[in-house]
Order: sequence, then C-alpha cells, then structure tokens
Amino acid sequence: MSTTSPAMTAREAGPAETAVELIGVTKRFGAFVANEDVSLSVKRGEIHAIIGENGAGKTTLMNILFGLLQPDEGKIVLNGKETVVTDPATAIDAGLGMVHQHFKLVPSLSVADNVFLGMEIRRNGLIDHRAQVEKTRELSERFGLKVDPEERVSLLSVGIEQRIEILKVLARGARTIILDEPTAVLTPQESRELFQTLRGFVAGGMTVIFISHHLEEVMEVSDTVTVLRHGKHVATQPTAELTKADMVRMMVGRDVSFDRRPRDKTGGKVVLEVKNLWARDDRHLPALRDASFTVRSGEIVGIAGVAGNGQTELAEVLSGLRPASHGSALLKDSDLTTLSTSAIRQTGLAHVPGDRLVRGVDGSASISSNLLMGRQFKAPWSRNGVLDWRAAANQAVEMIKRFDIRARGPEDTVKRLSGGNIQKVVLAREFTNDADFLLVDQPTRGVDIGAQESIHDEIMRQRAAGRAVLVISVQLDELLTLADRILVMFNGRIMGEVDGDSADSERIGMMMAGLQPGNASDEVAS
Amino acid sequence: MEILSLFNVALIVATLRMTAPILLVALGGSFTTKAGIFNIGLEGQMLVGAFFAVLGSIWSGSALVGVACGVAAALVFALAFAVLVVSFRANEVVVGLALNILAGGMTISLMKAIFGTRGSIVGKGIVGLPKVQIPGARDLLGSWAPLINGFTPMVYVAFIAVPLLVVFYKRTRLGLYIRVVGEKPEAAEALGISITRVRYIASLLCGLLAGLAGAHLSLGYITMFTENMSSGRGFMAVAILIFSNGSPLKVLAGCLLFGFADAFSLRLQTFGFPSYLILAVPYLVALTALFALSYRSRPKIIRETLESMRKLLSVENKPAETGK
Repeated sequence: MSTTSPAMTAREAGPAETAVELIGVTKRFGAFVANEDVSLSVKRGEIHAIIGENGAGKTTLMNILFGLLQPDEGKIVLNGKETVVTDPATAIDAGLGMVHQHFKLVPSLSVADNVFLGMEIRRNGLIDHRAQVEKTRELSERFGLKVDPEERVSLLSVGIEQRIEILKVLARGARTIILDEPTAVLTPQESRELFQTLRGFVAGGMTVIFISHHLEEVMEVSDTVTVLRHGKHVATQPTAELTKADMVRMMVGRDVSFDRRPRDKTGGKVVLEVKNLWARDDRHLPALRDASFTVRSGEIVGIAGVAGNGQTELAEVLSGLRPASHGSALLKDSDLTTLSTSAIRQTGLAHVPGDRLVRGVDGSASISSNLLMGRQFKAPWSRNGVLDWRAAANQAVEMIKRFDIRARGPEDTVKRLSGGNIQKVVLAREFTNDADFLLVDQPTRGVDIGAQESIHDEIMRQRAAGRAVLVISVQLDELLTLADRILVMFNGRIMGEVDGDSADSERIGMMMAGLQPGNASDEVAS
Repeated sequence: MEILSLFNVALIVATLRMTAPILLVALGGSFTTKAGIFNIGLEGQMLVGAFFAVLGSIWSGSALVGVACGVAAALVFALAFAVLVVSFRANEVVVGLALNILAGGMTISLMKAIFGTRGSIVGKGIVGLPKVQIPGARDLLGSWAPLINGFTPMVYVAFIAVPLLVVFYKRTRLGLYIRVVGEKPEAAEALGISITRVRYIASLLCGLLAGLAGAHLSLGYITMFTENMSSGRGFMAVAILIFSNGSPLKVLAGCLLFGFADAFSLRLQTFGFPSYLILAVPYLVALTALFALSYRSRPKIIRETLESMRKLLSVENKPAETGK
C-alpha cells in the first residue's frame, strides 16, 4: 500500500552479498534490556538459525527487523542499503516477509482470500475470487507448497495453515523470509516437509531466517547459527562447526544434559487405571475416544501427540474439570469421573495444568499465597479456622530454596516471574502434596533450558519416590528423556504404546500423524 | 373457519410492510455485528431518526428533506456510539443503552419544547412519503399487484438492500474488511487494515440504515411521531442479529418472521381478541424463535447443570462413603 522511499532505494540497489545486516541494535522496555548491542549479518541464500533461551531476545530482534518495534539504538541494512524500517509495510517493500508464531488467518475465508487479504485482485471494483484462486494455485505449485486454494481455512490442519502463511509472504514478493519458531506446532513429518520447502527457497536464491530452540532442527536445516543470550549476541558460526552441546553451552552459559535419564526397573502396583474413556470438547464433539491405559507407581507414562488431539480433554477429565461421556478412570478404586475436583484431589491427584497462568497460579497473588492454595484448611497453615500467614511465608521460603525459584522473596507477585519460575511455583505446590498420582501437563512449555533441566530432575525424583506420573507433552524430546512408556494420541485415540528405552521418534511421529507404523498407507479416518 | 380468511394477499402485503422498518434497522446492525461490535443502540438511532424526519418534513414541507434530517440525526448518534466504543473503548452495551435512554428522553423533551405537547405530533403539516406506483403493475398482475406495487419507497429500499449486502460482503473490499475486522482483528492489524477506521465506517453505515428505518416509521404509512414509536423494533433487530450473526439472508428470514407476526396481530384485532394480548404476539414470536434456535445447545446446558448438581451431591456424601 504505502511505498516509502527508503524501501524503494533498497530494492533498486540490486543484489548484494548480504541480505540483512543489523548493526549495534539495542532495544529497551523500561528498565529491561531486550536486545543489547546486537550485530549480525545474514548472507543471501542461506538458512540462518537464531537460537537462544526464552527471553533471550530472538523474537524482539526479528520484530525490530520487520518494523513491528523500533530500535532505541543501532541500524538496519537491507540488501546493502541502510533502511529505517518504520512499519511492516516498509519491510515488505524491501522484500522481507515474516511468518509469526501465532497464525493470523481468517477461518471463514478461503485459502486464496487469506493469501490475498489486504491486496485483493479486483475487477470492476469487485473482488475477483477466480483470479485469486488461480494466482494462489500458481504460487503453490511454483514453491511446492501444496494447498487447495478454494478450501475454507477453518477446515485445515495447522501444518497447512502454516503453508498459507508462507504463501501470504511469497505473494507479497518476499525474498527474505523470517520464521518465528515454525516447527512448534508441527509433527516431525510436517517439520521435515517444511525444511524441504525452505531448502528449495534458498536454492532459488532466497534467504531464510529461522528462530528456534529445537537444536536437532537447527543442526538439520541451517547453514549458519546465531546464538543470543540475555539479549546479547554470543556467536555467529557455520552450523557444521558446532555440536549440539556447543550450542546449549552458548545458549545457557554452562553444560546441560538432555540425555535419557538413567533409571532402575519399574513395576509397582497400578495406581491409575483408565478404561474406555470418552469425552467431548467445548463444541460438543468427541475429543477423547475410548482411551484405556494404566499408570503404575514409580513409573512415568508419557502422552505424546500434536497439540489438540485430545490431550487437553484427557487431562481435564482426569482432574475433574470436564465430564466424561463414557468410561471410567480408577484412582485407587475411586472413579474420578464421578468425583468433584476437590474430592479428586483428596483421593490423591496432584495436577500441574497445561496453562499455568489460567489454572496453575493466581498471577496477581504472592508466591506464598499461591503455595498455600489447596492446603489453607490444614495445619500448620490454618489454626482453629484462622490462617497463619507466618507459617505460609515460612513454607514459601523453604520451597523457594528447594525448588530454586528465582524471586525477590515469598511476597513477590507471581506474574512478575519468568515462565520457568512460575512453573516451579506450581511444581512446588503440587509435588509436595503427597499425592500418589501426578498429572503433569506440558511441564516445560515456555520454560528455558536451564529451568527445563531442573524440572526434569524434580519429576525423576517423584518417580524415585514411588509416585505414578503421567506426563503430557507436545515436545517429543521431553518424553524421550523422561518416560518409561510413551502413549501416542491422534484424533482423540491412543494410537499405540512405545517403550521409553527403545523409542524412536520416527515411529512415534508416524503415530502422531495418525499413521500406524508398519502400515503407513493405512490412514486412520477421522 | 372464518379465521382462515386471514391468509390472503393482503396479509402478505401487510407482512412486507411491517417487515420493512425492522429489516432496514437489522441490516444496519449487520454492519456493526459483522465488524465485531455488539450494537444495542439501534433502538435509539431509529427513534431519533423518526423524530427528526418529522421535524425536517414540517420545517421544509418536503418528505425527502425529512428523511435526510432523520438520517443525519441517526448518524450523529452512530458517530457518538463509535467515538465512545471504538476510540475510547467504552463498554458497548453500556454506551448503547445510554444512547437509547438519551434518545427516548430527548425526543420527549424536544417535543414539549417545540410543540408544547406530550404524547404525539400529528398533522402540523407533516408531509409523508409518497406511495410508489409501478406503471403497468396492475395490468400485469391483477389482484396480485399490491405485492410489488404501492409501497412507500423505504420498503423497496429495505428489500433491495438484502441482495446488495450479500454482494457487498462477498465481493467488495470494504465488505471483506468489515468481516475480517469482526472475525480476526489480529489478522487485519497484521495486514495494515485499520480496525478503527473499518469499525467507524461500519457504525456510520449502521446509522444510515437505522435513520432510514426511523424515517419510514414516522413518514411511511402513518405520518406522525409518538413517544417511543420504535417500540422495541431496534431490540428485535438485535435479537435477530444475534442468531443470524449478521448474515443478510438470515436477517431477512428473521425479519420476515417478525413482520408476519406483526401483520398477523394487526389482522387479528379485527376479530375482537383483546388488543393487549394481540400486541404481545410479535414478542412471543421473538421469544419462541430464540428458544427454538438455541435449542441445539440446550441439552449441553441441561447436562452441565445435572452434572454440577450431581457433583455437589457426591461431595456431600463422599466422606461418609469412601472414608479415605
């Protein structure tokens, strides 16, 4: 729409060796420095990965590059020309395109309408849907991004939605594409397809900047890696010269292990027995279909699957937040599906919810109040029906030390903490309840690598203490690290079970996509 | 059955006539609904439209100028709504209700100030809208001619607006943007579509049609203004908009239902039923329709209620049973 002059000059400059260069970029939000004197250059025709822990400033840096934020200091050079990127329109004119982590598609419109939204093809003043469909088909074929241009977006899977976002960027003439954590929502197979597409892009002379914290992927797909830590640039090196351990060390600043945790034999008594469990989602459609499994004491069972395949509903039914439509879930002989949430907790459930800010903590309350929740009627926190705040504060001090919660003190407001520390508050409360069954949903979502390690340590400690643990995670690596057995969910069903010691991600990935391993063509109908 | 004689061409004609004002205002509301604004202020916009149409018509002696005045007044209300709701992010229900109350009070006090009367303005040189005579209609259709012939202009405007709006939402850029802003504002924002501008435009388009609807009320079949003459039509339009989600064809269907109920109750009056009972008919239809349309989600609500009651009971019994 708006063509500003700096962008025009950048385009006229013609091909340069360097597609994008950031020089001394600093961005502050109040007292917090999100990026400090970051310089980096991205060569034309490479896949450049930007890695770093959560809060390392990756997304902020890309938002600055794309004109969504303005840097406090530093400059941006696009195609060899210094450019002031005042807004995304300038960035788009300079040949930049960004695929955000959260898709911005309109569900009721067709694929083609979404691709051309904001730049509609019109004839006689009316939108020419047919021409848009044609153009979309053309783009989709040229770049090998298979979509049906006439399909409604609401009917499509996340993987395809991402293709549409990429097509949107291509339709606007992007030559340099920024992807913010593109694989977070994809199955391993979909990720592989995406990588192939990206390689095709760079083979055609385009440039890809790729934000990630999945190091396997970075190793697999990128040519060059830039590491950010605490908003600062640590290194930019060719991927081939780095090992995974090197990258983790640069990201965290110390050695961290993500190998499979050592363990002794399992085989306690059955604590949780789920039998033919069905449940419906908020739209009243079956979301959990005929799930049956057991969890024994001293055992970690993992639930793998792409987000939205019934894991949430399973967790909600087990914790009493959602009614089951059929079946039972026996925890030490009481059927959880007939009990209220408080009765379930009394029976022996500790629940680390998937959305910690909604169901895990009260963000505006202090750490000590949050740790008190659920035990406010018990001694020593309550005496003759009166709360003893000193006891609560003492408990908080102890937990902060034991779980290594980084906070100013027990009265610190929870929502001020980082994601990892909020999660530790939840774990501290739930894991000290002496519950026999621990339901842990997405233990490390949005948690940085250092904290991930200590959360995993804590889960392993619970296992050693003889607890039955059910870990639901969309991160397969995490389950491969922790679980004794992995159950894979697709479309509400448990597709199969894999032994943790001999699990391979390929086989699990197939099941996550709804395919039975060894019978790949036999797609499970929805 | 004597009552069967009710169902004739005249009833259909009356239905179309009664549908027009509610259809116009509901189509106006379709713009705001599609743009993601819950506009409960339709009633007030319609009422000031009706009042100022009468005023304009008296002052100028022209029905057309009257309509223009009515529309202008409704636009002022729509603009006030947009400023408060879109720019200042005020709660849309509170603002809508406030403007409705303002419209009611303002028309009454202006009536008193200007004409020194309460209740209604009749005569005083109000010029009504002419009836449109389509040449040749009578020869072609004979006794069916009243179906298309002899309405006041707003009736035609209302019904022609329906297909126009269908095309507007499907094929024009503004229509598309209104839908996008309502459905997925973050998508609009990411693509540089100004949410504020689109919502302002939608609010004003809404005011335009609500003003026409008001003018039709006071200058259409009856040339007079009475206190609160919109008599809940704006709220009925809101009800229709809730279950049609602003889709023009569904709005038409809903309005025809209410128009029919209106016409039917008018006709029933000639049979000597108690008039208060008859006047309640359109509202009963509204309730029934809303109930029927939300019926699908009903089992879930009932089930959830049962569920929570059962849980409550089981909590009370549980300690005794399990003992843990």
